[in-house]
Amino acid sequence: MKNIVMLLIALFAVGVVNAQDDRYVKAVEKNLAGIDSAKSFSDYLDISNNFVRIAKAEKDKWIPYYYASYCDIIASFIDSSKTGKDAYLDEADKYLSIADSLKADNSEIYTLKGFSAQARLVINPMARWQTYGQASAANLKKAKELDPSNPRPDYLIGESLLYTPEAFGGGKEKALPILESSLEKYKTFKPETSISPNWGGQMLKTLLEKIKGN
Amino acid sequence: MNKNILLKLIVIAAFPIVLFGQIKISGTVKDSKNEPLPSANVYLKGTYDGASTDANGKYSFTSAETGDGILVVSFVGYKTAEKKIKLKGPSLEIDFTLQEESKQINGVVISAGSFEASDKNKSVMLKPLDIVSTASANADIYGALNTLPGTQKVGESEGLFVRGGSATETKTIIDEMVVQNPYFSSVPDIPQRGRFSPFLFSGTVFSTGGYSAQYGQALSSTLILKSQDLAPETRTSISLMGIGAGASHTQRWENTSLAGSFSYYNMSPYYNVVKQRADWDQPPNGKEGLVVFRQKTSKTGMFKLYSSYTNSKLALYTNDLDTLGQKDKFGLKNYDLYVNSTYREIFGDDWTFFSGASYAKNKDNYDFTYHNFTSGKELQQSKVSVTKGIFANSFLTFGGEVQNAIYKTSYDEYSKKVNDFYFAGYAESDIFLSNSFAARLGLRYEKSNYLGKADFAPRTSFAYKVSDEGQFNFAYGQFYQTPDKEFLFTDSKLSFEKATHYILNYQYIGDRITFRIEGYYKDYSSLVKNAVLQTTYDENNVYKFNQNSYNNNGKGYAKGIDIFWRDEKTFDGIDYWISYSYLDTKRDYRDFLVMATPTFATPHTVSVVYKQYFTSISALVGASYAYSTGRPYYNPNNPVFLNDKTGSYNNFCVNASFLTRIFDNFTIVFVSLGNVFGTENIFGYHYSADGERRSAIVSPSLRSVFLGVFISLGKEQSVPSL
Repeated sequence: MKNIVMLLIALFAVGVVNAQDDRYVKAVEKNLAGIDSAKSFSDYLDISNNFVRIAKAEKDKWIPYYYASYCDIIASFIDSSKTGKDAYLDEADKYLSIADSLKADNSEIYTLKGFSAQARLVINPMARWQTYGQASAANLKKAKELDPSNPRPDYLIGESLLYTPEAFGGGKEKALPILESSLEKYKTFKPETSISPNWGGQMLKTLLEKIKGN
Repeated sequence: MNKNILLKLIVIAAFPIVLFGQIKISGTVKDSKNEPLPSANVYLKGTYDGASTDANGKYSFTSAETGDGILVVSFVGYKTAEKKIKLKGPSLEIDFTLQEESKQINGVVISAGSFEASDKNKSVMLKPLDIVSTASANADIYGALNTLPGTQKVGESEGLFVRGGSATETKTIIDEMVVQNPYFSSVPDIPQRGRFSPFLFSGTVFSTGGYSAQYGQALSSTLILKSQDLAPETRTSISLMGIGAGASHTQRWENTSLAGSFSYYNMSPYYNVVKQRADWDQPPNGKEGLVVFRQKTSKTGMFKLYSSYTNSKLALYTNDLDTLGQKDKFGLKNYDLYVNSTYREIFGDDWTFFSGASYAKNKDNYDFTYHNFTSGKELQQSKVSVTKGIFANSFLTFGGEVQNAIYKTSYDEYSKKVNDFYFAGYAESDIFLSNSFAARLGLRYEKSNYLGKADFAPRTSFAYKVSDEGQFNFAYGQFYQTPDKEFLFTDSKLSFEKATHYILNYQYIGDRITFRIEGYYKDYSSLVKNAVLQTTYDENNVYKFNQNSYNNNGKGYAKGIDIFWRDEKTFDGIDYWISYSYLDTKRDYRDFLVMATPTFATPHTVSVVYKQYFTSISALVGASYAYSTGRPYYNPNNPVFLNDKTGSYNNFCVNASFLTRIFDNFTIVFVSLGNVFGTENIFGYHYSADGERRSAIVSPSLRSVFLGVFISLGKEQSVPSL
C-alpha cells in the first residue's frame, strides 16, 4: 500500500510538473496569438510585458525572453518619437543577452540580434550604418552558420538589401534571389515545438508580392 | 480509508485551482510629476500574474496566489519599484509613483562649453561622418570643427583659435593622452592639416571652454578624440588622390585586429594644374606609415596601440621686403613619430580602470637662406585613471599623469635644451541628483618642475533640465598652461599662464533639431609679457633694462556669445547648420604695447554648412559658406598699436561624394572646390623693417581643388577606412 501511495505521489508530482509546463506553453501560445493580432505600439509593448512576466517566473526558459525582445524591436519600428526608439532597443538587447546566456549558439537568437541592429540602423542610417550595418551583417551571418535551414536570416538580409541604395551594394536585383531562397526555406522549415520561433513567412510573401507587383 | 486518500489525491491533482480563492489587484502607476505611465509592467514576482497599465496608467489583474507576495512595476526609463503585499481579501488597490532613471532617454547631460560628436551620446551636435562630409573641411578634423561657433577663421595658420585664444591654447587629446604635434609642422602663412585621419575616431568632444578636471594645460579649449575599437572586418583598401596614393590592409581575428597602411604624397602634379601663388622650390612631399593594433582582452577590456611615422619635406621662396629683388628661402624637413597605447578594463560592477602611455618625437630641420635652424620636441606621457560608480548613476573619477617634455633648438652653432617634468593629479565627481539636475565638481593639481610652480585648478559644471528638450548649463573653471617653449628658452623666471572661464548656456535638442546659445566670459591673467617693454625702475629710481626677459604680467579678457542651429528635419534629405559667434577680446601680452585685440580675433563670424543626399545618383552634395569681419594687423606706420583692420573674409566651398563600384569594389569618389567665387581674402600684411613696403598675406592659391578616389577591395560592403 505504501508503495502505491508513493507511486501516486510520484505520479502526482509529474502531473504538477506537466501541468506547469503545459501552463507555460499555453501562456506563450496565447501571447503568440496576441502578436498576430497586435497592431499598435502599445499592443506590442503590452505583449512584451506579458512575455517578460513569463520569463521572470520561469527563469530558465529562453523563449519568453526571445519574444519579449521581438515585440520591443517591432515596437521600436512603430514608435513615432525618434528619441524613444533606442530605449526599447536597449530593452530588446538586454533580453536577448539573457536569452543567449540561457541558450548558447542559437540561430534564432542571433537572427534577432541582427534584427535589433537593423532597427538601430534605421533610426539614423547616415550616422549608424558603419556600426550597426556591420553588427547586423555579422549576427545574421552567424545565425545562418548555426542553422542553414533557418529562413529568417535570409529574409532579414534580403529585406535590408532591398532598402539599401544600389551604390552601397543593395537594390532589388541583389535582394530578390536571397528573398526567394528564404521563401524556399520557409516552405520546408518546421519549428521544433509549437512555441519555437516561426515568424516572417507571411510577411515575406506579402513583401515579394509587393516587389513583383511593381 | 486508503481509498479516501486516493480519492482526495485525485481530486487535488485534477482541480488544484478550485482550492484557491481569486484576488483582484488594481491601481494606478504615475511618474513623479503625477503623469500616468502607460504600458508599465505590473506583476506578482515569480508568477505569470500581472498586467500592463492602460493609457491612464491604470492596471488590474486577478491572482490565485495567497500569503505574502511582492508586487513589481517596471517601465523603460524608470527605476523598477517593488512593494511587499499580503494577498488577502477579495481585492487590493495599490498605486505606484515611479522615479525616473537618470541619464536614460531624456536625462540631463553635462554639456556646458562642449560639442560632442559620437553615435552613442544622445546630445549629439555633430556626428563622426559630418567631419568627412563638410565642404570646407577637406576631410580634416580641424576644418570641420572650424564650422562650429566659438572658433575664429585664421586663414594663414593652422590650429583652433577658440574664443579669443591663440592656437596653442587648444590641446588635442587622443584616448586620454595629450598629442604634442597634432598638425603638420608650421610653414609661414600656409595653414597645415591635422595629422590624424577622421576615419580613426568614433567619437569627438570639442570643448570651447569649461572642460573637465581630467585635462589640463590648455587655457581655452580641448579636442578629445576617442579612437575606434576593433576594426570591423578584414579588408584591403586603396586611395588615389590628386596629391598622392595610399594602401592599407586590416586583418580581423575574433578578439584582435591589426591594420597597417602606407601612403605617399607629392603636391607637384597638383601645383602644375592648380595655379599657385606661393613660389615653391620643392612642393610638399612625404611618406607616412601607420600601424593600429587592437586586442579585446576580456568582455570589457580593450588594449589599443596606435603608431605612426611621418617624414616630409618642402621648400619655398618668399620675397625679401628689405632687399628688393632678393628672395628668402624657407626649407623644412620634418620627422614625426607618435606612439599611443592605452588599456581600459571594467572590474566588478562599477570600477573602470584606465592606463595609458604615449611617446612623441618630432624634429624640424629648417634651411633658411644663410642659416640652419633645428627644432626638436619630445614628450613621454603616462596616465592612470580610475572611475567608480557611487550611487544611482553618479560616479567619481580620480587619477594622475606625468609628462616629460624635452625641447631642443639650435641656430647654426648655438643650441639649447629644456626639460620640463610635469605632474598632475585630479579628482572629479559627476553627480546626478535627479533626472533634471546634475553637477560636476572637480579639482586638478598641476606642477611643473621646470617652472618650479604648482597650482590647484577647480572646475565645476551644472546642468539643469527645464523640459524634455531644453536644458540650462553653467560652468566655471580655472585653467593653467605652461608658457610656450620659445619663452622657456629665455631663462626668464616664469610661472603658469592662467585663464578663468564663466559659461552660461541654453540648449534645445529636439527631434533632429538642435539650438544652442552660449554666453561666456574668460579672464586671462599671468600671461607671458615682454619685460623690456615695461618701464620698470630699480630702488634708486633708475630705469631698468632687461634684455630678452619675460615676466607673467600680461593680462586680458574675452567675452562673447555663440549661437548654433542645426536642422535635419524640416526639409527632407537636407541637413544644414548655422553658427554665429560674437567676440569681444583684448589682451596685453607678449610684445604688445597696450591692451589690444590680437590679430587672430574678430567680432563677428558666421558659418553655414549645407548637405543634401540624392538617392537617385547616390551622391552627397554639400556647400559651406564662411564670413567673418576683418581682423587687426600690425602697421608700423600707425601710431596706434594694432589699429588697422583687414577686409572681411568670405569663402564659399562646394563638395560632392559619389558612391559607386569599380570592378565590383565599393568606391567613393570625392570632389571639393574651395573658394569657388575666387574672393580675395587678405589675412594681414608683412612690412619691411623701415615700414616703407608691405606685402599682403593671402592663401597659397586663390581656389583649391581636392579629388580623391577610395576603393575598398573585396566583396564585403563597407566604407574604406584609415
